[in-house]
This record gives sequence, C-alpha cells and structure tokens, in this order.
Amino acid sequence: MTKRRMFLRMVTASLLRRRSRMLIALLSIGIGATILAGMVTIYYDVPRQMRAQMRSYGANMLLMPAEGETLDSERLSAALQKLPADALVGASPYRYVRLDMTSRQQSFTTAGTDFAEIQKTSPYFSVEGRYPEAPREILVGREIAETIGVKEGSDMELTWQPTARESDGNPSDDRKPGARLAGSAKGFGDAMVYVTATLDNEAKIAELTIDASTQTPEYGGRTAEDALFLKQFIGKALPLEMGDDVDALSGATVTSTAVVEALNTARADAAVQPKTTRYMVTGILVTGGEEEGYVFMSTEDLQALTGEDALDVAELSISADEEQLNAYAEALTGDGVQARLVKRVTKSETAVLGKLQALVFLVTVVVLILTMICVSTTMMAVVSERRREIGLRKALGASDNSIRGEFLGEGMFLGLLGGALGAVLGFVFAQVVSVNVFHASIMFRPLLLPVTVLVSMLIAAASCLMPIKRAVAIDPAIVLKGE
Amino acid sequence: MALLELKNISKIYGELKALDNVSLHVDKGEWVAIMGPSGSGKSTMMNIIGCMDKPTKGEVLLDGEDISKLPGKRLTDIRRDKIGLIFQQFHMVTYLTAVENVMVSQYYHSMPDEQEALEALGRVGLRERAKHLPSQLSGGEQQRVCVARALINHPELILADEPTGNLDEANENIVLDLFRQLHREGTTLIVVTHDPEVAEAAQRTIVLEHGRVAREVVNENFVE
Ligand SMILES: Nc1ncnc2c1ncn2[C@@H]1O[C@H](COP(=O)(O)OP(=O)(O)OP(=O)(O)O)[C@@H](O)[C@H]1O
Ligand SMILES: [Mg+2]
Repeated sequence: MTKRRMFLRMVTASLLRRRSRMLIALLSIGIGATILAGMVTIYYDVPRQMRAQMRSYGANMLLMPAEGETLDSERLSAALQKLPADALVGASPYRYVRLDMTSRQQSFTTAGTDFAEIQKTSPYFSVEGRYPEAPREILVGREIAETIGVKEGSDMELTWQPTARESDGNPSDDRKPGARLAGSAKGFGDAMVYVTATLDNEAKIAELTIDASTQTPEYGGRTAEDALFLKQFIGKALPLEMGDDVDALSGATVTSTAVVEALNTARADAAVQPKTTRYMVTGILVTGGEEEGYVFMSTEDLQALTGEDALDVAELSISADEEQLNAYAEALTGDGVQARLVKRVTKSETAVLGKLQALVFLVTVVVLILTMICVSTTMMAVVSERRREIGLRKALGASDNSIRGEFLGEGMFLGLLGGALGAVLGFVFAQVVSVNVFHASIMFRPLLLPVTVLVSMLIAAASCLMPIKRAVAIDPAIVLKGE
Repeated sequence: MALLELKNISKIYGELKALDNVSLHVDKGEWVAIMGPSGSGKSTMMNIIGCMDKPTKGEVLLDGEDISKLPGKRLTDIRRDKIGLIFQQFHMVTYLTAVENVMVSQYYHSMPDEQEALEALGRVGLRERAKHLPSQLSGGEQQRVCVARALINHPELILADEPTGNLDEANENIVLDLFRQLHREGTTLIVVTHDPEVAEAAQRTIVLEHGRVAREVVNENFVE
C-alpha cells in the first residue's frame, strides 16, 4: 500500500466513521456552495432575464429615413432582417398625418401603426376598451376623447386633406385651361377650408365650390353660400390678391383669406382630392404621455385613406446590452435608413442591471464569509475533540506537515463533497428563484459544477487554516498524561 | 554499550522540581523498570527520553547523540525512527480499525504495509480482530494492538508508561510475554510501573522519589 492510499484511507475513514460532526461541516459547505452556485447562476442569468423584462419600458432604438431618403414598409422589413430574430422584441412603424374631423371643426395628429407590434414595443400602453382588430377600427388618445367626448364604440369621421405642399412642383404648373383644381387652407380656429375650382379656356376661374363646413355657420360658413362673395372670383386668373382682386365677406375675414389661400395653392392632381372615412373607436388610449393627444389607426387604414406607403419612424425594442445595441444600430444604418439608440432607456437599463448584479455579488460574498466562519468553527471543534488523537499521531512520529496535510485533506474532501452537492442544489435553487421572481427558467452552465467544487474546496481549505494552526500546536506529551 | 544516558537532568516547573538532578545509564538490549510513588517524576522522565519534552538542565544522550537541545522537528524524527511508545491509556485512533492503527505507525515511519501489520497483530494474538474498531475491542486487546503498533517499525527502544495499569492478570501476562520476546530479540525496554510483578520481570529497577533516584535494584531472579 502506498502512502497516498493510506492517506486517503485515513481521511475517508475519519469522515465516514465520525459522521455526526462531519455532517455539520459538510452541511455548511453544502449550503454555502448551494448559495454560491445559485447566486453565480443568477448573476449571469439576471441580465438575460431582466433585459426581457426591461423591454417593457419601451423602445430602445429608433429607425428613421436617412437624410434625403424616405422610409416605407419594404425598407423597414429589409432592415429588420438584419437583426437576429430572438433579439427583436418588437418593431412598431409610425406614420404621422393630420386628419380633420369635419363635424367638430378639429384636426388631430393621427398615427398609422401596427397594433400587434405596439403591444410589444410599448407594453405600458393601456387601453380602455380594446386594441383595434378589424379594418376601420381606431384608438383615440384620452386627451382627444375628453375634448370631443368620444367613447369606446363611438363613430368618428376623419378626412384626409392632401395639402399642396406635399405635391411636387408649383401650383402655377397646374393652372392650365380647363383644369380642375382642389385646395385647402387653415381658416378660423385652425380648421380647414376646402375649395374646388374649374378653369375656363383662358385658365380663368369658371366655377368655384367652397366647403367651409368647419367654420362658424353664421360667419365663415356663409362664404360657401354667399352669391355675391362667390361671384367675385368668376373670370379671374390665379393667383388672387385679397383686397385687390376680391373682397372679404364681412364678418368672415379669416375664412375669406383661407379661401384665397386655398385657391392660390390649389392643385390639379386627382390624388389630392380630400377623402373621408368613417371609423369605429374601439378603445381610449391611456399612456400618461403625449400619445394621449393622438389618434391611432392601422398602417393599412391610413394607406387606404392617404394612398401613400410612407413611414416617418419605426420604434424598435431589442433585447441586448448597450454594447450590442450599438453594434445593431451600426448594422441597421444604411440602405436609406438610419438607426439610433434611445439613450435614456438604454442607460437606465444598464444602471439597474449593474446594481442588481452588485447586490447579488455582495450577497454571495457575505454567504461565503459566513460559510467560512461556520466551517472554521466546526473544524475548530473537531480539533479540540481530537486533541488526543493528534497528540498520539505526533507521538507516533507525525511531523507538523503531516498533521497539516491530514486536516487539509479532510477539509478539501469535505469541500469536494459539499461543492458537488451545492452545485446541483444551487442550480435547483436558482431555478426556483428564477421561476418565482423572473417567471423564466434558467440555462444550465456545465462550467458551474467544476467551478463550484473548486471554490468550495478552496473555502474549506481556507477555513481549516486556523484549526490547523491549533492542531499543530498540540503537545504530543499529553498522551502520556492521564487526562 | 550505552543506548541511553541521562546526565544530571532536571525538569523544573516554577518552584516544583519534577526531576531533580537525575542520572541514568541504560545499555543496548537492557530491560529496565522504573517505579516510584505518584508524582515522583516517572512520566516526566519518559517524556524526556521519548523526545516529547526537553529537560530544564542536563544532557540526554541517545545512541551517543545529545537530544536535549535539538529543535522539535529533529526530536520528531528521532522519536519516529528509534522509539516505540506504549501508554497506560492504550491510545488508539478511534475511527481506524486495529490493523489501520498499526499501519498509522508505519505510515509516519516509512511505508504502510498491510501484510506486515497483520503479522504484527498475529504476534499479539489479534490477527482475527484486525478489522475491528477500538470500540469493539476490550481494554486488554487494545493494549495489545498498541504493543503491535510500538514494535512494527522495529525500534531500538521501547518506552512503556504503565502498560499493564489497566489490564487484568491474563492480559498482563500476555504483554509481559511480548516484552520477554522483544528483549530476547535485542530490543531495549524501559517500563514504568506500579506493579512489583511487572518490575520483577525486568533486569533492573530504578526507584524514583521526589524527582530523585532513590535506589536501584538488580533483579537476581531474572531469567534470560
Ligand atoms: N506541565 C506541568 N506543569 C507543572 N507541573 C507538572 C507538569 N507536568 C508534571 N508536573 C508535575 O511534576 C510532577 C511529576 O509528575 P509526573 O507526571 O512525572 O509524575 P508520575 O511519577 O508520572 O506520577 P503518576 O504515577 O501519578 O503518573 C508532579 O508533581 C506533577 O504535578
Ligand atoms: Mg505518570
């Protein structure tokens, strides 16, 4: 038999045949290792877990058309292809236009978006009622709902009024003989006044219709009916000068000016005809933010109304750390789009995660120290319990190093057993914590087993230092005393 | 030729002189008994001879080497290589079997050898009990295991402090017979005892009183 085998035989015999005391040491190392393994698992899994949770604080990246470019759904989906599917939580396209509610002489910023994606990128949006599902269903922000008194289930008629600004070229290009022009301008209370005019052979106004239904009926509203007022326009060439070519209708100066402005900017394009659609309000949107002043409809509904496939911006929610987000932003930028991080969200996410990890780290260190104290105390008790045995071993010729080796061996063996036990229990512990706190299960890290065992052995060894010192100091002469 | 020589050694604890100017000469192969009342300094002397303690004054020559001023590490080496110890309380490692207890002594000395350890147990008549733990052995059996453990490394000197103090007549005789065998093989024996019968088995008896050698009796009836 070799010395090493005898050493192992003594160490294992000491542990196996003196069970009760060693069980306490084993238990404390085991518990320490369990918490260590659990905490390490949580430490590395927390960002993964929390990042998904944090995505509920809203989009962390914006995708916009590059300088001088336009964004449409095709470009957006092409860009999104560049992101790994599991990182992308959601991508909400947005197109903002002003739509008029003619019956109320109001106009609202209306966002065309994708309601399914909105619920992923902005999970904190709350809807009284429900999100639209069918065509021609809309959401109305709370602020608007309160001002105009619409409720879930109300109908709302919205009008798309293409403005001259948005068409190419110059209005004067369209003033050809026989042309039909349509235009609009802001009248009283910023509400829209619409005009349509037909030109004669000399490109002078032959016919004029005014839609001033958004204006006060007794004042501005009369511009549409007042024969004298209307007559002034017939036979005149555009553009017109207020006061020179035409006079304002008394009591309706603002509306009259809007009519002239609408005529001067009127365009011939057939697509620029105003279009009105009736929508059903399925819910009131409550966000606590500026979205409460918007109307939301599906991208498809807005396209049907305006006839254009254009997006202003897309809000992306991506599960990644700051560094990775920067990399994604770089990858997405190009092909007519540019991406940029929402700094406020990313920064606070990083800060919160950092604090959480620091907390877990601190708890781990405290637990390890407690474990060390516990193991050390137990080993101390073991040494005093075995004073006679240690004295005997010394009397039999054990050197100080042999004594050290034997106690260290026992400690490390305990560390090995406790560590293996702890690695397994720790994973279970982390799993339980994760499922209960983060509602997600945890990945098993194979490296955790050897690392936990190694750390446990080191801790056990460190805990044995003081007891060993005491064991070495024991005088072999005690065995001759009849104690 | 002297294996052990104590030259005017004293061991002083404060006011108390546990050993007071003691001189002793033990030849190689000699069997010496030490007697004396309780507190006369017998164990103190054994500790010094056994390299577990140092005298306050005087020289201890073991095999011609003065061990009284050696550092603890060297004392451990000498104890391991030259001395076999047997104690009154038959100390054993409680969680090791009889044969493992014998092997512990081999382990610190050189190489554990289970076969040899079993033979040593056979010599003390305990071959059959080799796999028993101390708690499963009687006091006499435990002391016999300790004798086996003391002789396993073939020490030049065996020190026994009241080896039969807790034994019955039968076990005492077994142990004494083992001592006789060891003596015949040339091992030097120093045995502390209160028991005149045990002392009479030796060649010579030293009597200590108040830390001094009171007298020395040569055993005329000693049978080789
Ligand atoms: N470490 C010590 N400190 C102080 N006094 C001690 C110490 N060791 C022994 N003594 C004293 O020295 C004296 C001799 O003790 P020793 O143990 O040698 O006696 P002994 O002859 O072996 O007695 P016994 O037959 O009872 O075993 C005793 O009075 C004892 O109290
Ligand atoms: Mg004594």
